[in-house]
Amino acid sequence: MVIELSVFMENRPGKLEAITRILAESGINIRGISVASEGEFGVIKIIVSEPDRAYGVLRENHFTVSKRKMVMVEIKDKPGGLHDLLVLLSMNRINIEDCYGIALEEGKKAAIILEVGQFPRTEKILRGEGYTVLSDQEPG
Amino acid sequence: MYWEKDLETLDRKELERRQLEQINWTIRQARNSSFYSGLKINRIDSLEAIQDLPLTTKEDLRNQFPYGFLAVDRERVIRLHSSSGTTGKPTVVFHTREDIDRWQNLIARSMYAVGVRKNDVFQNIMGYGLFTGGIGFHYGAELLGVMTIPIGPGNSKRQIWFLKHLRTSVVHILPSYALRLYTFFDELNIDPKKDLNLKIALIGAEPHSNEIRKKIEELYGIKAYNSYGLSEMCGPGVAFECTQQAGLHVWEDHFYPEIIDPDSMQVLPEGEEGELVLTTLSREAMPIIRYRTRDLTSLIPGNCPCGRTHRRISRIKGRNDDMLIINGVNIFPIQIERTVMAIPEIGNNYLIEIRKKDYMDKLLLKVEVNEQVFQGTLSELEKLQRKIIVELREELDLTPEVKLVESASLPVSDGKAKRVYDFR
Ligand SMILES: [Zn+2]
Repeated sequence: MVIELSVFMENRPGKLEAITRILAESGINIRGISVASEGEFGVIKIIVSEPDRAYGVLRENHFTVSKRKMVMVEIKDKPGGLHDLLVLLSMNRINIEDCYGIALEEGKKAAIILEVGQFPRTEKILRGEGYTVLSDQEPG
Repeated sequence: MYWEKDLETLDRKELERRQLEQINWTIRQARNSSFYSGLKINRIDSLEAIQDLPLTTKEDLRNQFPYGFLAVDRERVIRLHSSSGTTGKPTVVFHTREDIDRWQNLIARSMYAVGVRKNDVFQNIMGYGLFTGGIGFHYGAELLGVMTIPIGPGNSKRQIWFLKHLRTSVVHILPSYALRLYTFFDELNIDPKKDLNLKIALIGAEPHSNEIRKKIEELYGIKAYNSYGLSEMCGPGVAFECTQQAGLHVWEDHFYPEIIDPDSMQVLPEGEEGELVLTTLSREAMPIIRYRTRDLTSLIPGNCPCGRTHRRISRIKGRNDDMLIINGVNIFPIQIERTVMAIPEIGNNYLIEIRKKDYMDKLLLKVEVNEQVFQGTLSELEKLQRKIIVELREELDLTPEVKLVESASLPVSDGKAKRVYDFR
């Protein structure tokens, strides 16, 4: 399980930079990022090295931010790796609300961030099939 | 419970007898000023006959700058206050020592009515200076005997430091600033409900909805009471809510209230909404007869369970000149406030912009998202935006444009909040 921070944001130039700058200045590493946008506003989703501290730093800077639990799973490095994973989940009738990929270890490995309804079960199924399920604590 | 039981619970007949006497005293006193020197009526024989006296307007006060309303020798004046004159001449108001004494007594009476006592700690977060809000409460609180911190507005972190370390139990604050101040607690890691000793907020100096009051009460876990006044009468202390929170008692031993139709100028019966007109009953330096406050309210019929016999006015709906006409529809900003502040997903601040586009008026509402209830999804934001539009359409009969903005991103001033920007 990893903590995803989602930040409400008006779509204006420089807004995303404001977040990345604050986190960089606080020595927090951004491991993954995804943007959902509606035109005038959007939600920035980020996976960071120290989610609790990052949450505090963003709140202090008056960002509207919330924490969410996500599943982070390493994708097997072979053709169809992602496909196999998605098939496994749909076979087990696990619905994916949201997902995006992030790179691990300077691009040698990749992981996928999944928002699912039943995540303890999801993690168990994935582990059972030999997937590496990552958490905030493990080095990415 | 009462600061002056005899006066606050005076039998209505006796109160009205005294009012008539004081109106006639005021007419005599006012004749000493150049503005009222030509007054045709010497005295009135009944309270209803006050309608025969002419109305006085803000414009009159401005035109008579500086001494046209002064009714005593200049040497007897010990204080001047002035209302914020943004354009042209300001209006000035003079006080004798006795005027100041009466004024501070009314503040003490108001504070006592909502439970402020000597052992409280009072942080006066209202502007000092020409503005009457800060100084008015300052002297009233001292008269009551409560420890008063004359901190004034602004410097939010210092405010919170004082609130916490001096165990402040009562504040006097602009409602918009109370909401703004709340946004600073998070970063200081202070929970206003647990870490403070705050019990009462006295809020006023800007019209606000009951929803804003409730929000302040919920955020801080306190009681908030509405204060009404205007510098032309003295300042705060003209009318005040009691603990019933069901209207504001006009201190009728010092001010005589009427409600008029702002178009026909006719006096309206109790319960009908119109413009509040006030006559001072005890002011020496600057008596004012039938002053058009431009504030819209109504006199509430019936007795208040608190036992006070002074009549109540309902929450100020706004000013005559606040009314917006949008594509022919009359709208008061407070209607918008009432609607949006009742939606929990909305944060503490909002702003209204009106523009002309293709010969049509467009209303744009910017609202801050409440970070406490933000779940982190785009869909909830889209849902919220639709919900605001639907609720406003029901209240206003027009479809506004709604823009969600980040919390603490809208401009705030330490003074009165400016929430309407009309670009037409
Ligand atoms: Zn009452």
